[in-house]
Amino acid sequence: MNGNGADKIVFEDVSKFYGEVLGVNRVQLSIPPGITTLVGPNGSGKTTLMNLMTGLVQPSRGRVSVLGISPNEPERMFRQAGYCTQFDSFPKGLTGYQFLYLFLRLHAKGRTEAEQLTWKALERVGMVEAAHRRIAAYSKGMRQRVKLAQAICHEPPVLVLDEPLNGLDPMARAETIALFRTLASEGSHVIISSHILHEVDRISDCVILLTNGYVVAEGQIQAVRGEMQHEHPMQVLVRCSNPGVLAARLFEHDHVAEIKMHKDRQGLLVATRDGERFYDLLNQLVLEGAVDVESVAPADDDVHSVYEYLIGSDGGAA
Amino acid sequence: MDVKPVIELAGLEVRFGERTILNNLCGSLSGRAIGLLGPNGAGKSTLINTLMGFYPPHKGTARIFGYDIRTQIRQVRNRIGYMPENESFISGMNAVSFVRFMAELAGLPREAALERAHEALFYVGLGEARYRKLEEYSLGMKQLAKLAQAIAHGPKLLILDEPTNGLDPPARQRMIRLIRDVRERGNLHLILCSHLLRDVEECCEEVLILKQGRIVEYCNLEEERRSNRRFLEMEADGDKEAFAEGVRKLGCECALAGERRIKTVLSEGVEIRDLYRLAAERGVRIRRLNYKRDSLEDIFLKAMENGHGSL
Amino acid sequence: MAVYKRTYQGYEGRLTPGWSRFLIITRYAYERVFDSKFLLTFLVSCLVWPAICAAIIYFPHNSGAMALLHPSARNLIPINGNFFLRFMVWQGSLAFLLTAFVSPGLISSDLRNNALPLYFCRPFSRAEYVLGKMAVLVILLSAITWIPGLLLFGLEAVLEGSAWFWDNLWMTKGIFLGSWIWILVLSLLGLALSAWVRWKLAAAALLFAVFFVAAGFGQAINNILHTDYGKLINLVELIGTIWAGLFRTTPVSGLTEFDAWEALLGICAFCLYLLARKVKAYEVVRS
Repeated sequence: MNGNGADKIVFEDVSKFYGEVLGVNRVQLSIPPGITTLVGPNGSGKTTLMNLMTGLVQPSRGRVSVLGISPNEPERMFRQAGYCTQFDSFPKGLTGYQFLYLFLRLHAKGRTEAEQLTWKALERVGMVEAAHRRIAAYSKGMRQRVKLAQAICHEPPVLVLDEPLNGLDPMARAETIALFRTLASEGSHVIISSHILHEVDRISDCVILLTNGYVVAEGQIQAVRGEMQHEHPMQVLVRCSNPGVLAARLFEHDHVAEIKMHKDRQGLLVATRDGERFYDLLNQLVLEGAVDVESVAPADDDVHSVYEYLIGSDGGAA
Repeated sequence: MDVKPVIELAGLEVRFGERTILNNLCGSLSGRAIGLLGPNGAGKSTLINTLMGFYPPHKGTARIFGYDIRTQIRQVRNRIGYMPENESFISGMNAVSFVRFMAELAGLPREAALERAHEALFYVGLGEARYRKLEEYSLGMKQLAKLAQAIAHGPKLLILDEPTNGLDPPARQRMIRLIRDVRERGNLHLILCSHLLRDVEECCEEVLILKQGRIVEYCNLEEERRSNRRFLEMEADGDKEAFAEGVRKLGCECALAGERRIKTVLSEGVEIRDLYRLAAERGVRIRRLNYKRDSLEDIFLKAMENGHGSL
Repeated sequence: MAVYKRTYQGYEGRLTPGWSRFLIITRYAYERVFDSKFLLTFLVSCLVWPAICAAIIYFPHNSGAMALLHPSARNLIPINGNFFLRFMVWQGSLAFLLTAFVSPGLISSDLRNNALPLYFCRPFSRAEYVLGKMAVLVILLSAITWIPGLLLFGLEAVLEGSAWFWDNLWMTKGIFLGSWIWILVLSLLGLALSAWVRWKLAAAALLFAVFFVAAGFGQAINNILHTDYGKLINLVELIGTIWAGLFRTTPVSGLTEFDAWEALLGICAFCLYLLARKVKAYEVVRS
């Protein structure tokens, strides 16, 4: 809530309907620079939000402001966003190079500048050798990288990427994630949507969870999880040699809500309402020699579990 | 356990015009679930297509369950089920007709095909939706229909190409669970081709890594996991640098990875309790402690750097 | 009491014979073809002319009906080669229209939805696929060409007696062979267009074009080069020549029968080549 939001993407009570069909309903967001990931089932409103951010659709109600510019100024708005869609279609007959070059020329770049920026973008996504081959002959991963290149080539401050890692092999994923980090550190807004939750954990600064057109949670994932501790106590899996003894000791403390014995009787699944105090307690118990710990792992400290709790498996459209 | 090889590669070479896509692949695979990995353009799809007889090899050959793909491709196809990566369906049909049609084409008689189609659709979780036309399906449902047609005729080898493509998290989990269930109970072998290392780790015991048309690594994940007992990974709050220092003083290798992770190798004589003691001394709270998780990622990256390996 | 857990099981039962599997495609295609009421109506209307012909054959043998007619009107329509030729021409045109309705969707929808890998990862060859799809057309077209034709011949033979039968047996060859070469050309052409053209409407339009535009070109070539060989690409002329030969009527064009047969078989071969190019499980795109 600082300044006039000139460095944020702001949604003020935004709703978008397509006739009767709901896109998003009463969304209130303020997205800072960095990597923000949209998470949610298909049909939950992610694409609608992305279209609103890039100015491709207008909200039915409410105000959208991207770095201070609203969709009422389409020319300025289109310049500052780069969009990589999830759909895999390209103009026929073009090579990778031509695709980017023509796109940049459409952005009113002169010939030399367009050429330079094209090669720069191609280098960033690692498509320099294949640049003069036709897109129809590209593999899926290569087409994905050309799409990414098209989103970043005009160096926009806002990048909206719909499932950008789709079809990329593990090395390309790592490289692309590194690219996002670089862009984020330069101050850009990188908005990604993804279904691969363990990657979301690793790369995002901030997460927005959507279901059925509503935002159900947003912020840093650890903070979100901490906020939910009361209805959904933190679950921690502790593998040790004497789980019964450990369970007895743990139950002495009131923040421990529930303890389940693991199937192989070599570990406990502890549900606690206060994660910090639990870890302190556990550290202490190990030092006292009361328990021989083999491993400690939070079972639901990630996006995946938050997703399960807030959205569940029936939050989807079909 | 199976000793007979499922797939034997004998100098398999495949060319598209001038370009050599698969170069002299040799070896014998006999695992229950084999993961097929590799960067884009490494030849994974070409290998799968060649094994199914879609594309003729230029030199050499391969055998599946002992049948040569060059001369006995019909016997090979009798035993395989294939779930393609791209969207694949027949318009104008609902899921029941589709799976039944595919089962009949595989040789099942009409009544058996209908029974097996319903069984397969029930197994993958398509309920009432099976009576709707395939064109109306969401992506997740289309993937399930593809899986159903791959298993309805009871193949001995199931080839899955990016089965979790485009699925949202609950659907992904369901698909992985299904694949694991099929693997365990189904008495069949499977080849999983995927870019998501997590998926391959959860489903496969063996992994074949291709790069530029050659095999660069073939390893058994079970054995890798068993030998990783001394590699630990931790997450902690507090002064991680000081903690890492202390661990090194104990004689163990230690490194900070990323913002939160601390990796260490326990040397002889150092126990986990020693780490906790050290943590208490340095005012550090250990949140997570377990054996290193991303071994497949390391294996993959190493394979990419090294280049050459063989079975 | 028992709790049953449903899980995946292999299949150990019997399998259907390999040679009959191409008919599975035909069977499933028919279920969808007959969904269209328009097509059903059209099919029924294709049988109107054979019914009229049957009446024409029957009337002269019905003394009551003949008594109503003026004496000179009897025997107005002789049942000879010309009669059956006219029958073939009419039904052959209807067969062309039927092909234009049915063939475009046969292969193009499979290609559009990337279904071919699913066919060919099973013990199923490309030839069986094409055969199965062709059978859809062949059965429909047979039902409106040689089957009613032979039935009409049989009707006349029963009514006229065995002398007429033996005298005119050569006509069955004309009906049968003439129909089959036409069926072959139409099916292969229809399938080839369906494989190469994605849009159903465009494929149907192209089928018309192949006939009528080619006829125009053929005429143009004839006029410009002062030859008769332009007729070789005019399918209507070709089949007309063949039928005229089979039914021993005077040919309309200057082509020999042999030339016409050669040309039509050449067209069939070309269509087979086109099909072989497109009906593949795996497409390699050149850079």
